[in-house]
Amino acid sequence: MSAAASPGFSGLLSGRPLRLIAGGVLIVNGMFPALWILFTSLKTEAELTAKPITWVPHAPTLSNYMQAFSDQPLHLFLFNSFMVALLSTCLTLLVSVLAAYALARLNLRYRGLILSLIIAVSTFPLVTLLVPLFEIMRTLNLLNTWIALVLPYTVLSLPVCTLMLVSFFEGIPRDLENAAMIDGCTRMGALFKVVVPLCAPGVFTAGILAFVNAWDEFLLALSFNSNPALRTLPVGIQLYQGEFAFPWPVISAALVVGIVPVAVLIVIFQERVVSGLTAGGIKG
Amino acid sequence: MSTTSTLNAARPADRGPPAWTHWLDLGDRALAVVLLAPAAILLALIIVYPVLRLGYTSFFSLSLTSGLPAEFVGFENYSLMLEDPVFWETTWNTVLITLITVPGALLVGLALALLANLPFGVQWPVRLSLLIPWALPLSFAGLIFAWFFHSEYGVVNDVLMRLGFEGIIWFNSPNWAFAAICLTIIWKTSSFMALIILAGLQTIPRSLYEAADVDGAGRIRQFFEITLPLLKPSIVVALIFRTITALQTFDIPYMMTGGGPGTSTATLAMYIHQNTVSFLDLGYGSALAVVMFALSMCVTAVYLRAIRTKE
Repeated sequence: MSAAASPGFSGLLSGRPLRLIAGGVLIVNGMFPALWILFTSLKTEAELTAKPITWVPHAPTLSNYMQAFSDQPLHLFLFNSFMVALLSTCLTLLVSVLAAYALARLNLRYRGLILSLIIAVSTFPLVTLLVPLFEIMRTLNLLNTWIALVLPYTVLSLPVCTLMLVSFFEGIPRDLENAAMIDGCTRMGALFKVVVPLCAPGVFTAGILAFVNAWDEFLLALSFNSNPALRTLPVGIQLYQGEFAFPWPVISAALVVGIVPVAVLIVIFQERVVSGLTAGGIKG
Repeated sequence: MSTTSTLNAARPADRGPPAWTHWLDLGDRALAVVLLAPAAILLALIIVYPVLRLGYTSFFSLSLTSGLPAEFVGFENYSLMLEDPVFWETTWNTVLITLITVPGALLVGLALALLANLPFGVQWPVRLSLLIPWALPLSFAGLIFAWFFHSEYGVVNDVLMRLGFEGIIWFNSPNWAFAAICLTIIWKTSSFMALIILAGLQTIPRSLYEAADVDGAGRIRQFFEITLPLLKPSIVVALIFRTITALQTFDIPYMMTGGGPGTSTATLAMYIHQNTVSFLDLGYGSALAVVMFALSMCVTAVYLRAIRTKE
């Protein structure tokens, strides 16, 4: 990919040793914090408080992981995070596929206006709605439920996913749908049997972005779910800190457990995620 | 049926042959309403109604702890706010974080993107190194870097001391705590910036640089006269997004310092959260949120204009 375009400034640094340095800088910058937390999670309390501090653990132990699961219901945090992220991802995809199809295929009179509106919503600061959302969820008796998070998270990802899917749908030739409809498919049938499968990579990418967004969210989860059994991971991780004690190895172990699921997604689907992110960014 | 076919005749030709349009009796407009309805309902429930409610509540004295019914107080919440030193401090902190971390993330992101654009034989480690910071939850990044900057056992002080400097007690001093927070935010957000800029870099045709070579333009000049101008559209979009998220900064300072020492590193979002969730003072929390809403709407307006001029 970089062979196609090697812009000027980079040409300064095209020698092999410089490339190695550049790669090293990038990898240390990107990986070191996660690696450091992994090292910390494998250290014993005694090694952790030794001075000078050690970098690589001398006697790696998994006991911090056991403690992470026994001190707090980490499996529940994981389960809640997973379910909230999964439910909001499914809802986001369903709603944005329908909306994107209408915007890409039907010649709407207010198409430009609707697209501008979606872009405006994509930058909407959900934080400012903390009070009214809190009131609404309280009135509807939804505080301490998954739904209180699923609905806002869906709205959080909806604009970006819709914009992304509009551009994917526009790339599918209309003839394919027309052919399906001549063969007796309804328009909705054509959408779900022809267009969505052809756009599967796009739909999937949108899904990953929605999942990561929901997995990462902290403020609303912190504010709407006070019941420990319903906490998501980012909120639950705080519970490890005692009033005065900060059990860093155990916290690190819990962090590693929380990072792994998303890291796996990213490792497997990295190219797709990059293309999705940058398409969204460039198009707005 | 006859009305349908006259309607069809008026429609653009790319609608396809009339032979299959008969099932469209519903009409495109009705179909559009059906397809857009779920999104509209969600946005109405989670954005439009709450925005109206936010403005409304900000004119009331509504504290759940007092147990009193909501009472209309006009602009009292707003005048209280103007005299509230914590409001000014948290707003100033938010603006300062924005002014420091947005350009900071841009510069670091640009540097990372230029490095990542080198002709590496294997692409995946580079790509992954840019994706991991993006995918890491903000709250996790806050905790990880709180550990990094730990005064006794943190790796930052360890490196400083190995280099012969004094260790710093980061979270005891407002300025050092603020610096640690800004560094963390820049680390966390620069990778996304780099991915966007990298994508922009890869769309610049090589022939432009070859032509510049022929004309005798040096590498530095090529960077400023070809690379940067052509990157401008993607940089503008990334900057505006980053600015709006910077105004909402919450997770990282909340996890790293809890706003301390005192309220010296608290942000407006943290103050809104405290008033709403801890003090249950919904009226005042709403008035604070209206200010933040206004701040980000200004940035969004700039954004929509930038996009329009791009088209």
